[in-house]
Amino acid sequence: MAGVTVSNVSRSFGAHKALDDVSIDFADGGFYALLGPSGSGKTTLLRQIAGFDFPDTGRISIGGESVERVPVEKRRIGMVFQNYALFPNMSVADNVAFGLSVRGEAKTVIATEVQRALDLVQLGKLGGRKPHQLSGGQRQRVALARAIVTKPRVLLLDEPLGALDKALRVDMQIELKRIQREIGITTIFVTHDQEEALTMSDRIGILRDGRLVQEGPPEEIYDRPKSEFAATFLGDANIFRGDATGNGIRLADGTAIAAGVGDRLAAGAKASCAVRPERIRIATDAGTTDSNINTLKGQVSKRIFAGNNSTYFVDRAGQTLKVIVQNTGADLLAEGQDVVLRWSPESTVLIAAG
Amino acid sequence: MMTTRILEWLGRIYVWLLLAFLYLPIIIMALMSFNASPFYQLPFEWTTDWYASLWQNDQLISATWNSLKIAVITTIICVVLGTTASLALFRYEFRGKKLLQALLFPPIAIPWLITGTAMLIFFFGVGIGRGLFAILLGHVALALPYVIVVVSARLQTFAPELEEAARSLGANQWQVTNRVTLPWIMPGVIAGGLFAFAVSFDQFVVSYFLSTPGQTTLPVEIYAAIRKGFTPEINAVSTIIIVVSMALMLLTARFFKFGGEK
Amino acid sequence: MAEGAAASRGGLGKALPLLAPAYLWLTVAIFLPLSAMVFFSFMTDLPLTGKPWAFTLGNYAAFFSQSLYLTLLLASLRLGLEVTLWCVVIGYPAAYVLAKVLKGRSREAIFLLVILPFWSNGLVRIFSWAMVLREGGILDAALNAVLPFKINIDLMYSYPAVIIGLVHSYVPYMVLTCYLTLQAIDDSLIEAGRSLGASRLQVLKRVIIPLSMPGLVAGAALIFVPVVGSFMEPRILGGRTGTFYGTVIEDQFVAVFNWPLGAALSFILLAVVLVILAVASPVLRRAA
Repeated sequence: MAGVTVSNVSRSFGAHKALDDVSIDFADGGFYALLGPSGSGKTTLLRQIAGFDFPDTGRISIGGESVERVPVEKRRIGMVFQNYALFPNMSVADNVAFGLSVRGEAKTVIATEVQRALDLVQLGKLGGRKPHQLSGGQRQRVALARAIVTKPRVLLLDEPLGALDKALRVDMQIELKRIQREIGITTIFVTHDQEEALTMSDRIGILRDGRLVQEGPPEEIYDRPKSEFAATFLGDANIFRGDATGNGIRLADGTAIAAGVGDRLAAGAKASCAVRPERIRIATDAGTTDSNINTLKGQVSKRIFAGNNSTYFVDRAGQTLKVIVQNTGADLLAEGQDVVLRWSPESTVLIAAG
Repeated sequence: MMTTRILEWLGRIYVWLLLAFLYLPIIIMALMSFNASPFYQLPFEWTTDWYASLWQNDQLISATWNSLKIAVITTIICVVLGTTASLALFRYEFRGKKLLQALLFPPIAIPWLITGTAMLIFFFGVGIGRGLFAILLGHVALALPYVIVVVSARLQTFAPELEEAARSLGANQWQVTNRVTLPWIMPGVIAGGLFAFAVSFDQFVVSYFLSTPGQTTLPVEIYAAIRKGFTPEINAVSTIIIVVSMALMLLTARFFKFGGEK
Repeated sequence: MAEGAAASRGGLGKALPLLAPAYLWLTVAIFLPLSAMVFFSFMTDLPLTGKPWAFTLGNYAAFFSQSLYLTLLLASLRLGLEVTLWCVVIGYPAAYVLAKVLKGRSREAIFLLVILPFWSNGLVRIFSWAMVLREGGILDAALNAVLPFKINIDLMYSYPAVIIGLVHSYVPYMVLTCYLTLQAIDDSLIEAGRSLGASRLQVLKRVIIPLSMPGLVAGAALIFVPVVGSFMEPRILGGRTGTFYGTVIEDQFVAVFNWPLGAALSFILLAVVLVILAVASPVLRRAA
């Protein structure tokens, strides 16, 4: 096991900058998600760490050892591919044995290790099957067993659950996390699914256009996004744009919005405020007038009932705001109804424009 | 509905007529090789004398050996060179790749009369001359493009991630090729090898221009015999050849479906 | 995310050692010989025989001044055209039946049977026609057994014999290429045509034939080119009537030993072939 450090890594393909000065620290034993839209460079970064491709500039080290020019087969990593990439001509056991076998391990050692790995992924009895005789979830487990049986220093997963249907995906998320805890391996996985990133990882790195936008624990990124992109890509957010007033912004129509989270900004600069839809309370009356609370008036334009909660779309001065309310049995609001929205400054993140 | 039925049956009958056109001469030749009359006279009288007398014909026997030797060596060389070239064309991107792929088609498309005479001139000019070695040089060149095309077609069905997966597990280039890629493309390699064997074993035109008396192949020997006059011995040896080459192609078809592997 | 995959391969440096043996072989045995042929076609004699030699246009002048060569080239082109047409007429309907009427295993088996002879020995197959076509041969005997009057069928050593032999040799090519394009045509297109009120013939003319044109052109090119350069088939089945452009080239190399003239004649044939392939290639590329 070992930590991975990526320092100032850049990589271009022709005129396209796939990675632009990316630095990120993956601590030993952690579970990291690299999250971003397609083309953001997350897979490119994973392939740099794996050693399929080398950076133009910058350094990569695994366990303190500099590896940016070491080819993949010498890096001692384990990788799970998007479509599993199981060798179709080999049985499940031979697939798992492959990494040990190319290292020239003794047959008896291989047999024991393979069985242990298959037991770990709960496929102990299927060693004799061919990959095409397995279900999607089983293939996924074989791919995982194959990647960890060589005791790699780091486990890399490229959209590992993307090919599974939703129910199976949730099962595999839990399973993957269990196995990762059991062997304590540093794990880096690429995904475009924000929910997967939030539920599974210790830390998340968000990439966009080849740059690392923000990196940190899931709660921190969710509660304190540093950019509009981070706020909207990880979870939902209502964004207000205006001029900074120190600890808040003033909208074009003069309404002030107070923000309790985020760095203070010089007055007059362009800035935004982000508010999560579930932090906003919605009511039909003016209620208490606490000056500390942000208050806006609007009109419900649409309501979507989703069982445990309802989403209201509220129109206000040309902007549509999204509010999510838990369904507690209280009366639902009708479309077209005038409403008042309230939320505290502690739920409001001040973000510099740009 | 009725007319459709009738048309379909007419179509079927037509296809069988075409098959008759394709196979009848061959079948008749085969039958005649078992007919006692040396002038192909009917009625038919069964004999295997002509096959027996083949064994006495040293010229034909030695030409047959030459043909077999050249076909086997051609197959081995073509499989090795063709597979490595196909792998390179599959794995790497580089400038001029399209040109290299396009260069495979002249040897297939240019009539063998032209390639054969051109080889004769060039081999003579550079001192290689004629003979079995020249024939081998020519056969490999004619069969190689077929092997590359067939193996490349099989490689199209191979997922490059499998090679990456093998590398991520610590396999070096040789182990990746040997244990992951080759097993997958093996049906294509075998089909390519059978193609190469057939191209070489059946090759007449190029061998004809490059052979010398004594250093010749079976088809060239047969051509010479035909031009001297027909004998039932030629029927016998021709029957053997046609059976062998059809069996080879049936075998190839088993390994490689025309129009793509399922 | 494909950019990563493409870049990690990469490099002529890695490809070259793997490609070099195959392409060196092709260079030595195909490309250099073709270039040498062009070179020699401009010489008075081979420089190896010890005899004096010089550069000349005489070999090409011979082609254009002696009407014999041009006549023979035209005869070979006509032969190629006739054989190709027969192959279309015979092969296309068979390809259609294979692609659109037959189904499942019987289609597979018959398709294999049709293309199987193509990959067997061409010389031997041409020779087998001698059994059928000669006087007192099978065709003669069979017809005389059926017909009430006595006729003499002796097609051997005639132009029709050459045509029959060549069509027999090359018709599987036409079936193969047409079958491949015909089976790619969606049946619903034919049904759509019929539902719009078109007759069978109209659907054939306006839907099926245009869509299978690439197959027809490919087949035609693959047949026409080698037939124009054929020499063994006319020799065996044509006898004295079987003098064509290909046989004259053969003579220059194995009988007359005028290699420079043979090279010039070969090169002219190559030029004709390349023009034909160039004309056919736009249609072929559209198909691929």
